[in-house]
Amino acid sequence: MNDFREKLFQDSKLTKETIPVVVSSRIRLARNLADFKFVKYACKGDLHAVAERCEKILSSCPLLMNGMTLNICDLLDYEKLALVERHLCSQEFIIETNESKLFFTDDHLTSIMINEEDHLRMQVFRYDLNFRTMFDKINAIDDHVSENLNIAFDNRYGFLTACPTNVGTGMRASVMLHLPALVITKQISNLILAVQKLGFVVRGLFGEGSDAQGNFFQISNQQTLGLAEVDILSRLTQIIKSIVDYELNAREIVKKEKIIWLYDNIGRALGILRGCYCLTSIDAINCISLMLLATDLGYLPNILRGDLNQMMMKIQSSHIQVLENRILNSTERDIKRAELLREFFATVPNLKFD
Amino acid sequence: MEKCQFCGKPATVHMTQVVNNKTTVVRMCNECAAKHGLFDKEGLPFAMLSNLGEALFFGMKQNLPANGLICSKCGCTPMSFKETGRLGCPNCYKDLKLLIDGIIESSQKGMVHKGKYSRERATATQMNAVNSFTDTSARKHSNKLSMEEKLNELQEMLDAAIKAEQYEEAAKLRDEIKTLKGL
Ligand SMILES: [Zn+2]
Ligand SMILES: [Zn+2]
Repeated sequence: MNDFREKLFQDSKLTKETIPVVVSSRIRLARNLADFKFVKYACKGDLHAVAERCEKILSSCPLLMNGMTLNICDLLDYEKLALVERHLCSQEFIIETNESKLFFTDDHLTSIMINEEDHLRMQVFRYDLNFRTMFDKINAIDDHVSENLNIAFDNRYGFLTACPTNVGTGMRASVMLHLPALVITKQISNLILAVQKLGFVVRGLFGEGSDAQGNFFQISNQQTLGLAEVDILSRLTQIIKSIVDYELNAREIVKKEKIIWLYDNIGRALGILRGCYCLTSIDAINCISLMLLATDLGYLPNILRGDLNQMMMKIQSSHIQVLENRILNSTERDIKRAELLREFFATVPNLKFD
Repeated sequence: MEKCQFCGKPATVHMTQVVNNKTTVVRMCNECAAKHGLFDKEGLPFAMLSNLGEALFFGMKQNLPANGLICSKCGCTPMSFKETGRLGCPNCYKDLKLLIDGIIESSQKGMVHKGKYSRERATATQMNAVNSFTDTSARKHSNKLSMEEKLNELQEMLDAAIKAEQYEEAAKLRDEIKTLKGL
């Protein structure tokens, strides 16, 4: 288990290659073995056989040499949740853990869930946007899988999945965006409407009233059948590129029209992060969101962006408990979170406003 | 005070999402928000997670026959799908075809697979397809399928239907193609 904790906590060097606005992106493929019932209907024996077959084939894939496989049922609750916080698996995956296994590579950028709602859910992850590279990677893994396993496929419906919302390509691509200026300038709801009209799903987290919490939005394709993978990915890329443009324009507007408000909010947020002794995760995310904005605007050094992304993960509730190696109540977590943030932000240089 | 729709405690987080032109607000307490994630999960619309089956049923345009639909391999029925939102096995796509097609019609872009290993892509390698990333996007951008695309699609379905010896279905599709060509 120490091995697990170590692997979970090592910083990904790749977060250094972060860019403004795009926090991360992901492509996931859903696949099922043709000779077995889907996970929800399969008996324990079947699931065991599925897991065994999948694990054997995955371990022989040259692209998956450096990594580890976890039996989800061996983990504590907060350890399971930490995997979700790390984007290594879905929330649904850790609920029913019988015969569920998770493989992930040492760089955390490729992970494979065995026996989620589909037998195989394979995903690649990046801290920027490059669907072409990502698709090549996941597609090569999928080639290996489909050459060695009898995958459920139909000429008309494509890859067969437990839910018809995934059938066809079985592919879900998503991008997490940081859009503080579109929230501040109140353009976000119109943008969400426009994006969804193109057949994409937008999810965001809002606070009560108009105060945004986090300013993070995830955009993903809704449809998986009737379009080729490359068409889905190129459309999503185009949409993301225009949203990034909108956000950058909105930032210019905010700088022109609300500069004092901006300095004030960023300055206060850094004050909180340096001086807090008890901070909820939502308050922390809001403050870090403003630090990300400050970095993008050049008020903080550019290299901080990767560290901020890492911090955002490390201060999540389950990560804190894995770090402390015990269950903490919410106050204890808030105190530990504040300690981590204080330590980190003490090393961050002062803001340099223009 | 609004209640968290997952556990009933007072809601502090309001998540707005838009699916098919409908805006829905998901209300959650801080704990459930943390649990269900600010971060990356499935691309499924959030509100659907509570009862996906029902949501998909709701979107369907035609009614299903009251009985008779059951998967011979796993016993899955439209009713069990409505409850769980999940099918039982790959064979459900054959035996529950009426249900599947209804759901696909209301929730997907087309009725026929056009991605990896599909016949229209069989000749071009996936690599080439990736290289044409930007060229294809503009063409595909129009929401409405052109008449030609629609015809091609029907032709594909027809081929598939004949292949699967579903003559009744094939006859229906043939009529549809005739109608379209006559327009
Ligand atoms: Zn709740
Ligand atoms: Zn079945």
